[in-house]
Amino acid sequence: MRVLRTIVAATLVATVGVPLSACGSDSAADGPKTINMLVGANAIYSTEQQKWFADVSAKFEKLAGAKVNFETFASPTDELTKIQTSMLSGQGPDIYSLGTTFTPTAYSTGAFVNLTADDWNKIGGRDRFLPATLGISGPDAEHEVGIPFASRPFVMAYNKELLAAAGIDKPADSWDGLLQQAKKLTKDGRYGMAVGYGDTFDPWKFVWAMSLQAGNPLVEDGKARLTDPTTVKAYQTYLGWLTTDKVVDPAATGWKNAQALAAFGAGKAAFMPMVSATSRVNLDKSAVAGKYGYALMPTIPPGATSLPAGAVGATSILSGDNLVIAKYSKNKDLALRLVNMLTSAESQEAYYKTFGEMPTNAELANKLATDPALSTFVESSSKAHGTPFNGGWSKVQLALVNVVVQLVPDLAAGKVDAKKLDALLAKAQSDAQAALDKAK
Amino acid sequence: MTVTDSVTTGAPGTGDLRRPGAARPAPRRRPRSTAGTAAALWLLAPGGLLTVAVIVVPFTVAIIMSLLDLDQYSFRQWLSAPFIGLGNYAEALTRTGLLHAVWVSGSAAVIATLLALPVGVAAALTTHLPFRGRAVVRSLYLIPYVLPAFVVGIIWRIILQPDGVANHGLAQLGVDGGLWLNGPKSYLALILVQVWSSWPLIYLLALSGLQGIEGSLHEAAALDGAEWAAKLRYVVLPLLRGPISLALIISLLHMFNSFTLPFVMFGVPAPQDVEVLPVLTYVESFQNLRFGLSAAMAVISLVLILVPLLVYLRTVKLDTEEASA
Repeated sequence: MRVLRTIVAATLVATVGVPLSACGSDSAADGPKTINMLVGANAIYSTEQQKWFADVSAKFEKLAGAKVNFETFASPTDELTKIQTSMLSGQGPDIYSLGTTFTPTAYSTGAFVNLTADDWNKIGGRDRFLPATLGISGPDAEHEVGIPFASRPFVMAYNKELLAAAGIDKPADSWDGLLQQAKKLTKDGRYGMAVGYGDTFDPWKFVWAMSLQAGNPLVEDGKARLTDPTTVKAYQTYLGWLTTDKVVDPAATGWKNAQALAAFGAGKAAFMPMVSATSRVNLDKSAVAGKYGYALMPTIPPGATSLPAGAVGATSILSGDNLVIAKYSKNKDLALRLVNMLTSAESQEAYYKTFGEMPTNAELANKLATDPALSTFVESSSKAHGTPFNGGWSKVQLALVNVVVQLVPDLAAGKVDAKKLDALLAKAQSDAQAALDKAK
Repeated sequence: MTVTDSVTTGAPGTGDLRRPGAARPAPRRRPRSTAGTAAALWLLAPGGLLTVAVIVVPFTVAIIMSLLDLDQYSFRQWLSAPFIGLGNYAEALTRTGLLHAVWVSGSAAVIATLLALPVGVAAALTTHLPFRGRAVVRSLYLIPYVLPAFVVGIIWRIILQPDGVANHGLAQLGVDGGLWLNGPKSYLALILVQVWSSWPLIYLLALSGLQGIEGSLHEAAALDGAEWAAKLRYVVLPLLRGPISLALIISLLHMFNSFTLPFVMFGVPAPQDVEVLPVLTYVESFQNLRFGLSAAMAVISLVLILVPLLVYLRTVKLDTEEASA
């Protein structure tokens, strides 16, 4: 078996992991040490990213006498392939930068270093980070693999001019209130909200947020709760904006997020919930430049006027990047030193200034919170909550999105059949439960 | 061997003229040194190694994976993942959308291939005879074929989106296009785009068949007083049967296996009407991280592909036997 395993690993590495093994072997070579880090390629700021790589490497060489070799991945599939080949062959990057929602899956592989109290001390302690950003580092405080690196909280963009013209002084803090405002703002060929129903990333985030705010985290103690009345209500609210309330452009059935943002940017919608700070790049070049603002998304669930007892007023899913250290790494201490450097207030400030990514460093976050342009993002980041920490979460998420995808034809026809919604939710529930039952 | 040979041998019943009694002449052992044989075997070694590396190893790995309960929890020690025998196959057949996906992939591939056939043959007939600008037309015909599948997918996704060009065009005619990328019409969209991107293959092979027909046959037909319609019906099309069958099989396999086009056009999770087998396999592997289950799906899909492939290989084999007989 061992021979076969070696052959297979060698074949895999030879076919898919050539660049990986090439850089993986560097660290074993003599001479100045090199530490390898895998990060996502930044498509918007690629030149800046190259410069950032060089700066970090130079700084770390001065600090610890080792160079940092960066490697990038272009897509989640690319990322997954690299993780898999590295795990199989036991060599590859020392540090990975992973999306937060992927952290539970990465944790469940057991391939990454479970941080001890001593390890946390070496990266400046858990207190260094904005407490909420630690919410998806592991199943509990004793079992954490992810070190918060960048935060991308979701907020809601709104058109200041349109709101002022309608006599609305600020966006509502409940989903029902938001709907009332949106109804008031739907006129003259404009719509209250821009929503990308055809997007495959966002629909589940709305449903998760509304369910959680009504007291249902969707997954609890290994049990899926996707047919719970709170979740049904969340779907009805989200889909109803288009079908019954008519506050969303009917064309939105085919919209991806980018198209919804374009509609908001063209001044054709008053609100766009579920946007991150990256939307600023587009909006500042759009017709609403200088006329829009950001607000927290509602935290009071549909059908309620205040947060129910025991419910969580999450403003956003905990979104961003976590750093994890590979168990096979021969440079664990060096990796911890690099992470320490990257999460310091100074480095995080440079990172924020280069890429516009919000920091996870508490000291810097508190400093930025005084800047009115950023305070909403910082506030949302501090009130964001992690999605359920379970290795089966990716399937739950996919099942939640699938319900919307299969209902798009009904949305386009202007009416969502309650029975069909129930049937789709029942299927989602059984798929999700099956994945949770496999979780270890 | 000419095209004529391949066509006649392709016809049922004419393939094997040998009777059991009239066996081939007994193989005669030629006087040859063992060193010579060894050298000859060594010459085969690169091909053998390549076959092992390219086909045997991945195939074996896929089969082994399909028998294991392999997921993100067991991937790191994947050979010690629990052996569950045919469990993945049972799950794939009963608790996933596999059968539905096979039906979608298979039916769409058959319909699209049949629709692409007349288009391809007609295109070949129009560019068969020389005329001014023929080279340009021939090049234009190949554009859909040389475009990468993801480009085709993106272009058509833009054309077919609710407020896209297609619906604007239909609106001019007073027709409400509606949704093409989700719902029942997405199946039509998939077929339409598959036809668009695959007819040039049929065109290419049909054209090569046409070019292979000897001039004397045309002359003979003309001497017999055949008009163009009769010539097409009794001379040209029968002689094209070989190349066209090949084109049909390649096209069918290609469409059944097509991943990029539906993935880019419809995304994941795919709308029910266009949930094709390759996309389902991809999702199980790379989104749900059920590597064992998706390996089982891959093996099932391989078996399904083998059916038309064996039919094709058998046809080719009959050809070569006939030629060497």
